[in-house]
Amino acid sequence: MKSRALVGYLAIAALLSGCGALRGGDEEARTGAVTTGVTREPCPMAVDKNKGCIYLGTVSDLTSGPFAALAVPITEAQKAFWRRVNQAGGIGGKYEVDVQAYVRDNKYNPEVHRQVYNEIKDKVLGLAQTLGSPTTAAIIGDLRANNVVSAPASWTSAWEFEDVIIETGSNYCVESMNSVDYAMEVYKPKSVMAVHLAGDYGADAAAGAKAAAEKNGLTFTDVETPPGANEQGRAINEITKKKPDLVILTTGPADAATIIGQAYAAGYRGRFIGTGPTWNPALLKSPAAQAMKELYEQSSPGKPWDADTPGHKAMRDALGNVTPNDGYTSGWAWSYPMKAALEKMVASGDISRKGLLAAVKSLSTVDYEGMLPPEAGNFAGDPNAATFRQTLINKVDETAPTGVRTVKDFFTGPTAQAYTMDGPCFEKL
Amino acid sequence: MKGLLETLVRGLGNGSVYALLALGFVIIYKATRVISFAQPALMLAGAVAVSYLVEVTGFWLAVPLAALMIALLALGIERVCIRPMVGRPVFVVAIITLGVDVVVRVVVNAFIGRDVRQMGDPWGFDQVSLGPLVVQQRWLAMFGVTAVLVALLFAFFRYTRYGLAMRAAAYDQETALAQGVSVGAVFAMSWALAGFLAAIAGMFVGTGQGVEQTSWIIALKALPAIILGGLDSLGGAVVGGLTIGIVESLFQSYQGEYAPWLGQNFAVVSPYVVMLLVLLVRPYGLFGTREVERV
Repeated sequence: MKSRALVGYLAIAALLSGCGALRGGDEEARTGAVTTGVTREPCPMAVDKNKGCIYLGTVSDLTSGPFAALAVPITEAQKAFWRRVNQAGGIGGKYEVDVQAYVRDNKYNPEVHRQVYNEIKDKVLGLAQTLGSPTTAAIIGDLRANNVVSAPASWTSAWEFEDVIIETGSNYCVESMNSVDYAMEVYKPKSVMAVHLAGDYGADAAAGAKAAAEKNGLTFTDVETPPGANEQGRAINEITKKKPDLVILTTGPADAATIIGQAYAAGYRGRFIGTGPTWNPALLKSPAAQAMKELYEQSSPGKPWDADTPGHKAMRDALGNVTPNDGYTSGWAWSYPMKAALEKMVASGDISRKGLLAAVKSLSTVDYEGMLPPEAGNFAGDPNAATFRQTLINKVDETAPTGVRTVKDFFTGPTAQAYTMDGPCFEKL
Repeated sequence: MKGLLETLVRGLGNGSVYALLALGFVIIYKATRVISFAQPALMLAGAVAVSYLVEVTGFWLAVPLAALMIALLALGIERVCIRPMVGRPVFVVAIITLGVDVVVRVVVNAFIGRDVRQMGDPWGFDQVSLGPLVVQQRWLAMFGVTAVLVALLFAFFRYTRYGLAMRAAAYDQETALAQGVSVGAVFAMSWALAGFLAAIAGMFVGTGQGVEQTSWIIALKALPAIILGGLDSLGGAVVGGLTIGIVESLFQSYQGEYAPWLGQNFAVVSPYVVMLLVLLVRPYGLFGTREVERV
């Protein structure tokens, strides 16, 4: 009888473990897991071995995609950011944060992005970085379903409507509204052309430019252009033929240089304002440098590398002797909301993905150590109220470390001020 | 009218680059019956070699040096990867060239790094007046250099022993072999020539705008050019390349005005639409040899 009962227990145990019911417990015992992506064991590169570890994943464009020049510094800055957090005592004195164990390359390809995200998703609590709008769109359903809080490396207005996405700084749509309003103040244009890539990077900015053009009574032309410096012939034609007073550019840096350089050579003398990712300090060495110095300004969601704020200083100190690049600045600034949310989650005691999401939803301000105004970290209100609407304008300056210097500090133009954010902008283009 | 002529000059400039690449495809195809998909990598390698050499030797010396380097690289690829496959189905060899393309590009990407590399060329985006026309100097340079290279190439095939050997081998390998032509040397020479031309094309792709890791895609536009001109016709490659350049440029300038219903960027796909149309109507191209097979 006893042996029969034993066999029965064993059979049930085998069945349960086969179904996975007992596996979680096994694993928890082995790795000291608190929840998905959080362990009682210290991080692999722990400062204090007595603390547990929160793992955050990174999916970025690290080698061959078009944004690698930005993405690699972003990723490096985030490693430095969390190293500094860990050295200062970690999160709530209980945990340290690891962003190095699960770093994957998306090659800026949505398919690859989804694939590598699937590789790491069961090992991380959230994502310290998910680079790109179309790439992140490929995993947004899964992020939503599993409450995976993620910091995006992109500024599309669609993220205002996603609870799990914690964006920092104004979206492209607002950025372009402010650019047009800034131009109204300084250059008084009568016509605006948006030259932009397809999708929710370029189209988002173009929609913002369109809204601002309508509000200011300007004529608006929309020119969608493919990526690739060699493919810009049509965009250049449109600019030199229609001669708009202002061009809002949303492309990669090499495309931007080609468009500005060739339009300038063909005699165009209007103004260009490009979104943040249109600039790269290497363009100062290109044949378009002169044209960019004369005609181009960069709109930006944050201050450049050498700004005088405690956050910028901490970043420069933590990174040490690197070639300045505003990829570092972005990556560093983006990490503050995640830090604030993790601290709130640990303080609340609910250490889980749901706990983290609840913490995010309760954040109405974030301390960016002066890099951005605290209200940039509002994730609590409805999208229209929470959308941050301040941006800056930079101009090319060879003497600045990243080749640009701020000419207009954080401001909100009248268009962005009055705009009702009731859906992703790019849907209205 | 002025706008149309300027559009044509731009088309001829870019088309010259496609023609150089297409010539490389055709030379290898004629010698070995294989379409080499390694041309994009060789093009990129050439541009990157120029961008490094230019800092040491200056632009005018950097270009021939880089072209010779890439010719040697292509020769090496032929000896190591392609020669052992002689006698195997050409399909297999074509797939190997795809692999070679990926490997070479991975190595070249490491040299490109994350930024755009500049050619240090004297043209930049500077323009020049040709009577009433104002065109970019680099387009004229592309067209002029290609014209000279094509003339030299045709003279090489017509008047030199090696050229004759290559033509003989292309015509009938076994007979050429029986007449004492070293078919192996012909294979090697064809790869070296293709590498040389690809490097020059790469340099031109990088003028003004520089090269980055994704610039290799431009080389794919040589495929519509060779389909249009005929896979085994050198003259066809030149005509095909120039035509594709002009078609693309015309679409860039006028499609928005006259055919807006095609969408905003039809110019990007226009070379491939031409390719599909040619394949439907004249699958062997304008100047290609019509293949007759008994069934």
